[in-house]
Amino acid sequence: MVAKRVNVLWAILGAVGGMALGAWYMGSRIQSPAEMAARTAAPEASPILVPVEARVLSSDVVTRGTVRFGLPQPISIAPSTVKGAVGLISSLPRPNTNFGEGEVILSASGRPVFVLSGAAPAFRDMAPGTSGGDVRQLEEALARLGFDPGTVDGNYDQKTSGAVERMYRKVGWDPFAPTREQRAAVAAFEREWSDAARAQLAAEATRETAVKAVAAARATAEQNTRQAALDSAARIGDSRQLADARAGKSLALEAERARAAHSATAASADVATQVADRALIVLDPRQTETARAAAEAKLKVARAAQRKAKLEADLAIQTAAREAGLADERIRVAEGAVKAARLEGERNVRAAQEQQTLAEFDVQVASERAGRLERELATARAKLGVQVPADEVVFIPSLPIRVHEVTAAVAANASGPVMSVTDNQLSIDSQLPLEAAPLVKPGMKVAIDEQALGIKATGVVETVANTPGTRGVDGYHFYLGVRVETTPVPLAGFSVRLTIPIETSKGSVTAVPTSAVSLAADGTSRVLVDRGGKQEYVTVQPGLSTGGYVEVDASDARLVPGQLVVVGYKTAEPAAVK
Amino acid sequence: MGAFAVLLAPAIAAAQAQAPKGLGTEEFGMSPRELVQAIEKTEELIARCMREQGFQYIAADHKTVRAGMSADKNLPGLSEEEFVSRHGFGVSTFYTGLPPQLATGYSPARVGLGERNVQIFRKLSPADQVAYNRALLGDDTSSTLAVALEIEDLSRTGGCTRKALTETFKPDQLKATHYNPQDALINKDPRMKAALGFWQREMKKAGFEYGHPDEIEPDLRNRLATLTDGGKLLVSKMSADQKTALRKLQDFERLVAAKSFKMQEEVLAPVEERIQQELFSRKVQ
Repeated sequence: MVAKRVNVLWAILGAVGGMALGAWYMGSRIQSPAEMAARTAAPEASPILVPVEARVLSSDVVTRGTVRFGLPQPISIAPSTVKGAVGLISSLPRPNTNFGEGEVILSASGRPVFVLSGAAPAFRDMAPGTSGGDVRQLEEALARLGFDPGTVDGNYDQKTSGAVERMYRKVGWDPFAPTREQRAAVAAFEREWSDAARAQLAAEATRETAVKAVAAARATAEQNTRQAALDSAARIGDSRQLADARAGKSLALEAERARAAHSATAASADVATQVADRALIVLDPRQTETARAAAEAKLKVARAAQRKAKLEADLAIQTAAREAGLADERIRVAEGAVKAARLEGERNVRAAQEQQTLAEFDVQVASERAGRLERELATARAKLGVQVPADEVVFIPSLPIRVHEVTAAVAANASGPVMSVTDNQLSIDSQLPLEAAPLVKPGMKVAIDEQALGIKATGVVETVANTPGTRGVDGYHFYLGVRVETTPVPLAGFSVRLTIPIETSKGSVTAVPTSAVSLAADGTSRVLVDRGGKQEYVTVQPGLSTGGYVEVDASDARLVPGQLVVVGYKTAEPAAVK
Repeated sequence: MGAFAVLLAPAIAAAQAQAPKGLGTEEFGMSPRELVQAIEKTEELIARCMREQGFQYIAADHKTVRAGMSADKNLPGLSEEEFVSRHGFGVSTFYTGLPPQLATGYSPARVGLGERNVQIFRKLSPADQVAYNRALLGDDTSSTLAVALEIEDLSRTGGCTRKALTETFKPDQLKATHYNPQDALINKDPRMKAALGFWQREMKKAGFEYGHPDEIEPDLRNRLATLTDGGKLLVSKMSADQKTALRKLQDFERLVAAKSFKMQEEVLAPVEERIQQELFSRKVQ
């Protein structure tokens, strides 16, 4: 019985417990309308607070671009005249290989081809003695490489030659020595110069001889002239005598005439004596016939002697007169002889002088030839130094370079275009929307990055096209060229983001999220500042707005960085989405 | 106990009448309105993100994204059955290695991106195209918003699409393990469990080891990604062995898709429709 009561009690307790549990469950599930309303009502909105910040605001133009190296430019190898034949390419670089100044870009027939910095291409062989802009480029390059070419003056001298030799040696190549043809040419010059020197000596000897001949001719002429002058003087003296004779005053003629007159007088006197003797004899009868005949004979002899004296006087006078006549001839002859001697002397002197002139001319020609050959020999000897053949150097305006494409093949002729290279300056081809293009100017700084690749660099706006649709961009964009500043990151080929700040706040300013600023009824801007749970509107002057932030200026300093401002209120989350 | 049951009946009925959250009829258990809002918001966020990356991207409207979603396993003139029998699920059978914007044939991803974005993409340089898709889609360039929504797998998304989705979807929805609550509810139904068991056995008989039809496409995508280096390998640049492997995968896809589709239509679809009608009083489109 007790057990039965206990069971009933347990049953009642169980039922009560079950009903209690059911009531509890239903109580937890069944809600009154008020509870439902309260439970489903929107939660009380709580403000979303963000701090006021002091930050630099920057308004950016963001675009993309592809990084590339400079535009490809061909590399051509100029033919070398010292080598005679074009070499065959023996090694070539791979595309994308970088080369700096003084490096060997390829080799041809066992000779290197250096790449150097220079605006003008190599167009001729450079050797000691050559000069010009290309040599100056070479010297400048050598100086940059630290090989000290001496004075950078555009003249290829021995110092330049030494620097070139050191440049070759540094990279393990032998410098280009003189060719056999060049040495043979120098030997020929030496022979020619030797012959010319001998010819010069001979000419000088001839000139000396000519000088002496002129002196001798002058001396001879003077002597002959003097002799002729003496003869002339003698002739002139004779002529004076002749002149005296002509004037009847010739002593000889007068003497002859006096002698003739004397002889005639003597003969007449002798005849008169004889006549008188004969008359005496004839008249003297005492005289014999013989005496008469002798007187007669004596008279005749006297008369004959008179005639003889007369004849002799006439002859002497005629001879003297003739002699006087010959004196003029002799004077003229003497004068002619003097003149002839002088002319002869002058002619001989002139001839000797002409010989001397010819000899001097020969000396001059020989000297000039010898000098010219000496200079040429010196030049040729100087050219025997280390030289730079035209096909062993290429000048590139900007270094370093990067091989873009190799167009030549190994074993092909090393002449003309062999490859194209780009400079190592990275550039970015990009584009700007029509509305952004006027805001971007050349010279503006550019932040370059690619988040996915962790790339960061800086650049400068280089070009903004004046018209849309140029350089491969469509008609709704302007081309934008950006030059990448020095960066260790190999950016070529990558697409990168370009951020160009076009307006900044020029330093840190007080800024709040744009959603924190609202308009008051009077049109003023304001922010709702939270001050320890109490909220207060603060009137602000908005400034630059960018990146979700706006610069604000509260004139009464009631808004400072660090304070909290209301940007919104928390609301219930949507069912399916946040 | 009867009285107890009577006492609890109203509470149980009230509990059943209250529809669980996330049991909308659209993808990810969203209602149509929520899906439209999610698409619009995500596209706006994608466009903003792409602008920040320096790219131009026009936010696609929900109709465009919807069109991309509808383009899945859909070609003009072909029924879904014909499509599946010819092209499987269109995973490996239409693979080219090209980004979706450059696809010329079947490409739900291209449709979902919108024609303007496709044109913007095509005007970019090759390097920019790569960067564009990396910024927009991340590593898997086939996982556009439309495709991800359609296959209900947001885990393969990347780039700005992923970033935008993290702001519009819950973290668990972004995981590969996320399962549509509606599907999960249906799958819990004993009738569906029985039907899935039958499906598994039949598939196994055909040589396909899958536990659920929803496992097939992810498996095919994983296989394709392995074969194509994450979808980056162009078919034209494949080796002979790779091409042979791709052809085998395509054949496998056609076979498994055809078998699965047939089984799904014959076995799973009627059961699913019945359960949906019971749950939502209408058939889910």
